[in-house]
Amino acid sequence: MTGGQERRLAILGRLLGQGGGFTTARLCQVCADVTGVTGAGIMLMAGDVPRGSVCTTDTVSAVMEQLQYDLGEGPCVDAYHQDHPVLEPDLAEPDAPRWLAFTGPAVDAGARAVFGFPLQVGAVRLGALNLYNDRPGNLSDDQYIDALVMADVAAQALLLLQAHAPPDTVAVELESNANFQYVVHQASGMVAAQIDITVSQALIRLRAYAFGNGRPLTDVARDVVARRLRFDADSGEDDSGEDDSGEDDQTR
Amino acid sequence: MTRESMLARTLVELADSLVDDFDVVDLLMLLADRCVEVLDVQAAGIMLATPDGQLRVMASSSETMRVLELFETQAQEGPCFDCYHTGQAVVNQDLDAVNGRWPRFAAEALGAGFHSAHALPMRLRGSVIGALNLFRDGVGQMGPADLEVAQAFADVATIAILQHRATREAQILAQQLTGALNSRVILEQAKGMVAERLDLDMERSFATLRSHARNHNLRLIDVAQSVIDGSLATSGLDASPAAKP
Repeated sequence: MTGGQERRLAILGRLLGQGGGFTTARLCQVCADVTGVTGAGIMLMAGDVPRGSVCTTDTVSAVMEQLQYDLGEGPCVDAYHQDHPVLEPDLAEPDAPRWLAFTGPAVDAGARAVFGFPLQVGAVRLGALNLYNDRPGNLSDDQYIDALVMADVAAQALLLLQAHAPPDTVAVELESNANFQYVVHQASGMVAAQIDITVSQALIRLRAYAFGNGRPLTDVARDVVARRLRFDADSGEDDSGEDDSGEDDQTR
Repeated sequence: MTRESMLARTLVELADSLVDDFDVVDLLMLLADRCVEVLDVQAAGIMLATPDGQLRVMASSSETMRVLELFETQAQEGPCFDCYHTGQAVVNQDLDAVNGRWPRFAAEALGAGFHSAHALPMRLRGSVIGALNLFRDGVGQMGPADLEVAQAFADVATIAILQHRATREAQILAQQLTGALNSRVILEQAKGMVAERLDLDMERSFATLRSHARNHNLRLIDVAQSVIDGSLATSGLDASPAAKP
């Protein structure tokens, strides 16, 4: 117990003791450093879906967070839903295939082992800590314990940042390095209005369109908001191969 | 069962209850019951201070009115009251001989059949959060070993309560954060809907939602939610000055 406590204190010392104030970017870097992995990212989730990445240490972890946001699958999403760590020591050649859409692009980006740890405060789940290595292999027992501690530290740190935010708003400190992809939700609202469906159905349409066209969801959403792409014109067939009506998705 | 094994069992039981989301009242009830079993006392109760410093009974080994009233009286006077306000243990009080120190409490306690009373502070570092109250039907001193056990029980209860409060505060904050994330998403979705229906850019769309909320004295998030679920038609929105062509 003392060992764990010393470790926690050392970590917090690193977070707080370097001057320049505490930032989410530093939090992510410390998560990666302490656990000795190649990179780390922190995903916030709410209402059972990814809401946005709070921080990432490098482009690979940024790609992984984006994929999970776009696709709604991956180690973070599973860790959040299953309420315990999700470990994939060999992403390129897993024992059992999982995350069919996530895996290929994540391996291409350079992730060979991925690990998700839930961020939890009592009964409330906040999201997940996402760790990756650029070579396959399990976390050692020490790394695993360090990751659990860091998930705990990260959850507490997010709450510290959120503590003084006005009601119904996300703290500025949390948003400063974060990528909450609000454009996606604006686009959902527009598409919902275009074809008279609910906003959640509209988000499914957008996701399906992005996946079917091999494009990032955010790019597609930007096109919708810039009015370069509409979903209500009736030429062309549905690119999504998903959802209910399937008659009117198309570009203009 | 020997006293030592009862004590050990109680401590294990208490430690087992200190998991996430434990019910603090259940834990305090268990503690009150175990005090009576393990210590040479006939009734036990735990009183906690409210934020404004009033003592309230949280758990009692006995639900009889007479015993409960004894705790209630101590909101004004009695060993618990003194213990809480001084932070010091008040033990081995012979109720037949307290000589007017607690006139109302002593009379009630004697009437309920108790002849001695004890109160142990629930204290962590500087702050006292309440007291553990013990009653015996006989006169005579509680031994130092019993007092030590009683104080240990009070300490366990203190840690449990403080831990519970900290967890609850963190949970409330966590709920606020996820709530804020959801609210923001709803607002962005509503902006998109209004932008599409009224052919506005996002900034003007937001201004329209905000001015409708202000004009009708509604929360922005509620207006956004009504737009999303269709209960407020976008044509029914007040145009903001900025949104007018």
